[in-house]
Amino acid sequence: MAFDPIKLEIFKSLFISIAEEMGVTLRRTAFSPNIKERRDYSCALFDGEGRLVAQGDHMPVHLGSMPMSVRKAIEAVTLEPGDVVALNDPYEGGTHLPDVTLVSAVHIAGRPFFYVANRAHHADIGGMSAGSMPLSTEIFQEGLRIPPIKLYERGRLNMSVMRLILANVRTPVEREGDLTAQLAANRTGERRLREMVAKYGVEEVAVYMHELHAYAERMVRARLAAIPDGDYTAEDYLDDDGIIDAPVRIRVTIRIRGDSATVDFTGSAPQTRGNVNAVYAITLSAVYYVFRAITGGDIPANAGVLAPITVIAPEGTVVNAVFPAPVAAGNVETSQRLVDVLLKALAPALPDVIPAASSGTMNNLTLGGVDPRTGAPFAYYETIAGGMGASPQGDGDSGVHTHMTNSLNTPIEALEYALPVRVRRYGLRVGSGGRGRHRGGDGIIREIEFLTDADVAILSERRRFAPYGLHGGEPGRPGENILISDGVERRLPGKVNLRVKKGDVISIRTPGGGGWGPPSER
Amino acid sequence: MVRIGVDTGGTFTDFILVRDGAFVALKVPSTPKRPEEAVLAGVSELLGEGVVEAEVVHGTTVGTNALLERKGARTALLTTEGFEDVLEIGRQNRPGLYQLTASRPKPLVPRSLRFGVRERVTASGEVLVPLDRERVRELRARLAELSVESIAICYLFAFLEPKHERETAELLAELDVPISLSHEILPEFREYERTSTTVINAYLAPLMSQYISRLEEGLALLGAARSSRRFSLRIMQSNGGSISARAATQHPVRTVLSGPAGGVVGAFTIAQHIGLPKIITFDMGGTSTDVSLVDGAIQTTHEARIAELPLGIPVIDIHTVGAGGGSIARVDEGGALRVGPESAGADPGPVCYGRGEEITVTDAHLLLGRLDPDRFLGGAMPLDRERTIEYFRAFRRRFPRPASEIEIALGILDVANANMARAIKVISIERGYDPRDFTLVAFGGAGGLHACDLAEMLSIPRVLIPPHPGLLSTLGVLLSDVLKDYSQTVMLAQEEIAPGRLEAVFARLEERARADLQAEGFSLERILLSRFVDLRYAGQAFELSLPFTREFIADFHRAHERRYGYADPTRKIELVTVRVKARGITEKLSFRPKERRATVAEPVARRPVYVREGAGPVAWETPFYWREALAPGTAITGPAIILEYSATTVIPPGWRADVDEYENVILWREG
Repeated sequence: MAFDPIKLEIFKSLFISIAEEMGVTLRRTAFSPNIKERRDYSCALFDGEGRLVAQGDHMPVHLGSMPMSVRKAIEAVTLEPGDVVALNDPYEGGTHLPDVTLVSAVHIAGRPFFYVANRAHHADIGGMSAGSMPLSTEIFQEGLRIPPIKLYERGRLNMSVMRLILANVRTPVEREGDLTAQLAANRTGERRLREMVAKYGVEEVAVYMHELHAYAERMVRARLAAIPDGDYTAEDYLDDDGIIDAPVRIRVTIRIRGDSATVDFTGSAPQTRGNVNAVYAITLSAVYYVFRAITGGDIPANAGVLAPITVIAPEGTVVNAVFPAPVAAGNVETSQRLVDVLLKALAPALPDVIPAASSGTMNNLTLGGVDPRTGAPFAYYETIAGGMGASPQGDGDSGVHTHMTNSLNTPIEALEYALPVRVRRYGLRVGSGGRGRHRGGDGIIREIEFLTDADVAILSERRRFAPYGLHGGEPGRPGENILISDGVERRLPGKVNLRVKKGDVISIRTPGGGGWGPPSER
Repeated sequence: MVRIGVDTGGTFTDFILVRDGAFVALKVPSTPKRPEEAVLAGVSELLGEGVVEAEVVHGTTVGTNALLERKGARTALLTTEGFEDVLEIGRQNRPGLYQLTASRPKPLVPRSLRFGVRERVTASGEVLVPLDRERVRELRARLAELSVESIAICYLFAFLEPKHERETAELLAELDVPISLSHEILPEFREYERTSTTVINAYLAPLMSQYISRLEEGLALLGAARSSRRFSLRIMQSNGGSISARAATQHPVRTVLSGPAGGVVGAFTIAQHIGLPKIITFDMGGTSTDVSLVDGAIQTTHEARIAELPLGIPVIDIHTVGAGGGSIARVDEGGALRVGPESAGADPGPVCYGRGEEITVTDAHLLLGRLDPDRFLGGAMPLDRERTIEYFRAFRRRFPRPASEIEIALGILDVANANMARAIKVISIERGYDPRDFTLVAFGGAGGLHACDLAEMLSIPRVLIPPHPGLLSTLGVLLSDVLKDYSQTVMLAQEEIAPGRLEAVFARLEERARADLQAEGFSLERILLSRFVDLRYAGQAFELSLPFTREFIADFHRAHERRYGYADPTRKIELVTVRVKARGITEKLSFRPKERRATVAEPVARRPVYVREGAGPVAWETPFYWREALAPGTAITGPAIILEYSATTVIPPGWRADVDEYENVILWREG
C-alpha cells in the first residue's frame, strides 16, 4: 500500500471538519426555519472530477444526491473562479424543488481542483401551494424549476437571475437571506480548502482525496464480505400516491456476492400520477444510508462507499422517475419506504443488526396564508417525528426522527412568535409502538390551531400500511390526520390539500415503530 | 482572614490556602461516596489555631456526578397541559445518525411523573386560559402519595408572564420539597431547553442542599474547635464565578461543569497578570482535552450540554475532544491510524503503567524519550519501557505499511495533535479569531507535552506553562469573583426597540442583581454590573450576545461579519434577550514577583529524544530539567524537557523557554 495510515487519518478529519464548518455557517445565518432550526441541509466537498470527498453528517437523504447535483452543474456550465451555480430541478441534479443547491468551483493552478456544494430546504419555492409540497400531478405545479444556472458570475451576483427567483416565491426576503447564507457556506469551504492546499501542497491533497475513496471502499467491502452470499428479497407499499387510491409497490432484491452487492429494484411500481416518485438520486441516497448504517457509520461519506455496490433502478418506475413526473414527496416519503424495504430484505442476512420498521414517514405539514398581525404572506413547513423501530438490542426511542431525516422541530415558543398559529398539543401517542420482546417507540400527536384562514398541505404515509415488526414483534400503529372544525372531528386522507378557517385545528398523529421479537418474551 | 480554595477531583481533592499573601498547597485523596469528608479533612489540616475569619471557595462535582450517574432526586415535572412530553421528545432528533438502535438519553423525569395543568399564556404574554387551581390541588395529593422529592414547573411562555408558575408553587408549598420554576431558572424562550435546565435543577436540588448542609455543619465544628468567629462558604459555578452556598442550594444547576471552569479562570488570571489578556487554554488530561478561547474576557455559551442534556444557563465556552494521554491507538479496517476517542483511562491505563494492553498516546511519548521513566510523578510510578517497546513491536507487525516503531509513535502524536488542533480551530478560526494573536496556556498532566507542537501547527507565537499546572483549577476556584447572570427574553423587532423600554428591563434585572449581591455581603462599590443583548437578523434562529452599547446595532453587523463572513446593514435586526452579568469582586491574591537571577540551569539527566527531521526521525541528545530548580531569569533552548511532579513540558528544537519572575515558563519560537 502506498498511502500513509497517519496522513490518511489526518486528511479524513480535515475534509470532514471543513464540510461541518460550512454547515455551521449555513445554519447560524439562515432565515428559513427549515435550515436554521430544523437543519434540513447538507454541505459537501468534491474533487475536480465531481466525486464526493466528504459530506457533513447532516441529512442522510442528501447523501447520494449531492454528487448528482455537482455532476449536472459541471455538465451544464463551465465554472470559472467566483462562479456559483444554483439548481433545484430534480431532473437536472436536484431532489425536489424546495431543496436548492449551490455549487462553486475552487480553482487551483488554473483548473477546478475542488467543488464545494451545499443544499438547503427553502420554506417556499413557489408553485400551487404555500411551502411548495403540493399534491401535484406534474412537476410544473410544484414550484419554480431552476436548471443549473449561474447565480454568481466571477463573484458578482447575477441580479436578473435573483430577481426571477424572488418574483416566483411567496417569501422573497427570506429566500434572499437563505441564498446569502448558502453562499457564505460555500465561501467558508473554499477558504479552508485553499488553506489546506497551501499547507500540504496540491499533490499530497490529490493523493489523499483518492486514498480516502479507496479507504471507504475497503471498509464497505469488509462489511459486505461478512454478510452471507445470497439473494435477499423484500417488498413493501406506499399507501397511495395522493391522487389515485391504490398502494404503490416497492420491491428490492439484494444480491450479495463476496465483497460486492447488487441492489435491484426491478418489480417496483411504474411511476405514479401523484407526487411520490423518487428520482434516481433519492434511491441512491437510500442505498447509501443503509450500507453506511450497517457498516458502522463512522466511515467517511464519499464516492468509495458505493463503489462495491451496483444499483439497478429501472427508468420510469417510482424509484427512478422520468420528466415530468411530480416528485415533491419522493424525497421525504418514498425515501423512507426505500429504507424500510432495504432493511427488511437484509433482516434474514443480518438478524442481529436489523431493526423493525420505524415510522416510515416524515409527516410533512406545510402552512401558508397572510399573517393578520402584519399583512405579510407567510409560508411554513415542518416534519413531525414518529416511533423508532425496536432493534435486537432494545426498545425503539419515542418521538424521534429516523433514517433519512434528522431535522429538529421548531420550538413552540419560536413558532408562535413567528406565525399566526397556536400549538394545542405536542406529546407522545402512547401505545402506538408495536408490542414485542422489544417495543417499538411511540409516535407523536401534534395539534395546531389556526388564528387565521390558511392553506394546509399534508404529505404523510403509513396511514394504511403499518410499520412492520420483526421476528414476531407486532407492527406499529398507523398514523392519522384529523381536522377539528366547529367542534366536529373529520378524518383526513394521508395526503391532502385543504383550506382551513380561523379556529380550526389540525391534529397529526404519527405512526409508532414496529416491535422486535414475540411480545410473550418481554 | 484566611482563604481556601478547594477543588474536588476524581482522585484527589486539591487545596490552596492563602494567608498574608503567601500560599500553601495540599492534596488529599478524594472520598467519592462522601466528598465532604476529604474537603473537611483538608481544611482541618490547613487551618492553624486562632483563625478568626475564613472563607472557603469550593468547586464540587456532586451535581455533575449525580447527572452522569443518574443518581438525582425523584423529580416530578408540571407542564402546560398537552406538553407533558416535551422533555422526552426534545428537538425530535437523534444523536446517532447512522445508528440503527436507540441512541437518545432517557429523560430525567419519566412519563409517570410528568403532569399537565390546564393554563395557557400566549406569545404576547397574555393569559389565554387561567390556571386550573383545582387540578394543582389534586396534584398536590398525588405528588405526596408518589413520594416526590423535588418538583420542576415549566409552563409555556412563563418567561413573559410568570404568575401561573408562581401560583402553582404557592399551592404546592406545603409539600415541603424544593420547587424549581422555569421563569426563575432560565427566563428565556425555547421550551425544551428551558424545561431541560429547570428539570436538571430540580433533579439536583435535594442532593446539593444535603451536601452543603453537611459541609457547613462540618465547617462550623472546625470553626468552633478553633474559636473562629466567621466561616463562609462559596461554591464554584460553570460560568466561571462563585455563589454563596445558599444560592447554590437554590440553583444547583449552576454548579455543574464547574470543574473545567476553574481551570479557565485560573489560566486567565495568571496570563492577564503578566499582560497577556488573549489566551487559548489547553487542558489535556488522561481521557479528554478541554480548550477555551479568552479574548480579554472569559466567554460563556448558552448551548452547553451535560450528560447529553441541554443546559441553557451561561457556561464557560469550553470545547472538549476525546483525546488525552490515555487515548488508544489502533489501525481500523480501512487502514487508517486512529487515536481515541476510546481511552485506557487510569485503569488499566497505558501499556507503560504495566497493565494496559493497548498502545496509547502516553506510550508514544515514552517510546520517543519524551517522558523520564524514572521520574514520572516524582519517581513514585516508574514507567515500564521494556514492556512498551514490546507492545510497539507487535503493533508494528499489524501496521499496514513498513514503518519503524519510532515512526509509528510520531504518527500517533501527529494524529492526536490533529484532533486537538481541530478543537482549537473550532473555537478560534471558525469564530473569526486568528490564533496568531493568542497565547496558548497549557496545563493538565499532558498539556506541556503537546503545547509547542500545537502552537507550531496553528502559528500560535507563544506558550505559557503556569506554575503548579495541576493546581490551576483550584487557583481559579479560589480567585473567582461572585458572578450571577440575569436574563429576560423580550423579542423586540428593530422598530420596537425604544430606549425607555430596554432601560426598564435592564433596571429591573439590575435591581435584582444588586439586591442578591448585597445579600451575599458585597457593598455597592464592589458590585460590577454589565449589560448584554442577544441580537440576530429578524428571522434568524441564532443570536449573538454582545455588550450593550449606544451603537449596539452597528456592533451587531460587525460581529456578524466577523463570525460568519457577511453582514447586511439593510436588514432589520431583532433583540431577543436582555442580559445582566453581575460581578461581586472578591479580594484578590497578590502575586509577589521573585527576583530574576541570571543562572545556568543544571540538567538532572541527558537522554536521546526522537524528533522528526526532514525525511525521518532523528534522536537528539536532550537535557532534562527539574522545574523547581529553574529560578526566575533562567533561559533554556530546545531541545529540552522540563519535568515536574505531575507534568512534563517538551521544548522542541527551535524553541526557547524563559522562566519569569512569577515562575511561569514562557515558550517562544526562536527567529
